[in-house]
Amino acid sequence: MFVRTGVPGASGHEPIPRSFEADFGARWTHYYADAMVSQADVSVVPAVVRRPRRAISVTFPSGLLLSTLSVAVMLSGWWAIAVLGIVRADLLPSPANVWTALVEILTQGYRDTTLWQNIAATLGRLLGGFCAATVVGVPLGLWMGSSRVVNAAMDWIIQSTRPLPPLSYMILLMLWLGTGDLSKSTLLFLTAFPIIVSASAAGVRGVKRQLIQAAQALGASRRAVFRCVVLPAAAPMIMTGLQIALAAAFSTVVAAELFAATDGLGWMVISASTFLRNDVIILGIIILGLLGVSLAALLRAADRLVIHWRGRD
Amino acid sequence: MRALPTWGITLMSVLVVTAAWIGVTSSGLVRDLFLPGPADVWSGFLELIDDGYRGRSLLVHVGISLYRVGAGFLSGAIVGTMLGLGMGYTPRLNAIARPFIEFLRPLPQLAYLVLLIVWLGIGETSKITMLFLAALPVSAIAARDGVANVPPERVQAARALGAGPWQVFFFVIFPSALPEILVGARLAAGIVYATLIAAEIIAGSDGIGWMIMDAGRFLRSDYVFVGIFIIGLAGIAIDRVLLLLERRAVHWAGR
Repeated sequence: MFVRTGVPGASGHEPIPRSFEADFGARWTHYYADAMVSQADVSVVPAVVRRPRRAISVTFPSGLLLSTLSVAVMLSGWWAIAVLGIVRADLLPSPANVWTALVEILTQGYRDTTLWQNIAATLGRLLGGFCAATVVGVPLGLWMGSSRVVNAAMDWIIQSTRPLPPLSYMILLMLWLGTGDLSKSTLLFLTAFPIIVSASAAGVRGVKRQLIQAAQALGASRRAVFRCVVLPAAAPMIMTGLQIALAAAFSTVVAAELFAATDGLGWMVISASTFLRNDVIILGIIILGLLGVSLAALLRAADRLVIHWRGRD
Repeated sequence: MRALPTWGITLMSVLVVTAAWIGVTSSGLVRDLFLPGPADVWSGFLELIDDGYRGRSLLVHVGISLYRVGAGFLSGAIVGTMLGLGMGYTPRLNAIARPFIEFLRPLPQLAYLVLLIVWLGIGETSKITMLFLAALPVSAIAARDGVANVPPERVQAARALGAGPWQVFFFVIFPSALPEILVGARLAAGIVYATLIAAEIIAGSDGIGWMIMDAGRFLRSDYVFVGIFIIGLAGIAIDRVLLLLERRAVHWAGR
């Protein structure tokens, strides 16, 4: 129904199974179709709205320049508010204060942890849980997608854990596994796992039957069909699932670190708030934002590299 | 196995899991402190219904949470959609707003909650502002792409028939983008809901998220389980309501 999520060049969309289309397909692919499309940049897509404007706006600065300009205006506005003392300095530190905080944390560290240690702690938890979920989730999803029995036995478990906000079972995990890194990695595993499994299963189910039949007619063995037909056709959906799962896990890891941790960027932010170090909080938010943007870009690049056939049949 | 209908297999699987749950808990293999049995959870649920939790009834806790979700989601989705429509329609606005939207979207919401609490206090304002900021980028991007994906022929046809820019916007672009806007709204609602539960767990004094957190602290894992079930069911309910709205409002989608 909403499959027109706009991967450019994808003229013939593969029919996505109904239940999945209702949930994952429509909601999440939409979200990430955007992530995937935005490489093509919106300026290319709205050909319709742009074309008439183009003629008038030749003299106007290009999109990139305008974006830079708007960030610059925002920064100087922030600077002005802070410098003119409209807002108390301890509530809103100026960009210069945030810069000093960055230099201070880079050279002396924050409460006996360096910035790199905190970034490494956050990324380590994130990747630990995420990689484990990928290693277990993709094969399980592929299996569920190809076997009706396995799917019937497992799908209700996956589907009933998916609507749960991950933090809601954090308390149980802490009760069972302690407050250390094990419970956090498990939490991230459980955050990413259902997303990856559903995406992989849906990827397999979305493979066109004709493709499989054609391969079988040409004498391919079951194994060959799986390796050469099913896997490549399911791969784009699996990669989309991985991107969504990583984004979800990234949000969760920070929340988990706010909750109970002794290192990590989330801990740095919450600990700074108890000392009213707003410069450190803002610094932490900026670093987290940049980290989130670059993680998404990294996976998008991997997607382009690995799934070079995306959008083509 | 092959002869069994799909629902039969699912039913069997549910039964096996439930039996394992009962077996593990009633045999004393796991202490009920860690994993309460189904009967414990049920009696915990009845207790919560009768007595409430910490001076407030269960319904009030759920209601407080849903109120926050509603306020944050509606404000964020409405503002985000308007912004996104503008961004899709005018490339210049898109260029201006894009860096902030793209930065805000992958940013873990709880990170800016900390700052909002310092600025706005620990009460409702900071929570709802956070939810507003959580819903905003998702809705904006959905609306922007909805506008961007409107088939050019439609707009050209309307123009050729003499429609002005506002007419094109209200009668062609907006209805064509509506399906994607609503999909984005559903996605935003899911994110807002998960964020709120996390926020209540970390910095709450009421609401269903706070309840499971507080119960966990006192090792009342039966209450924790009840809370998790309610959170899951409420999440599904929110999603289904929005899905229903979506189907009703854009019955023409995909055609």
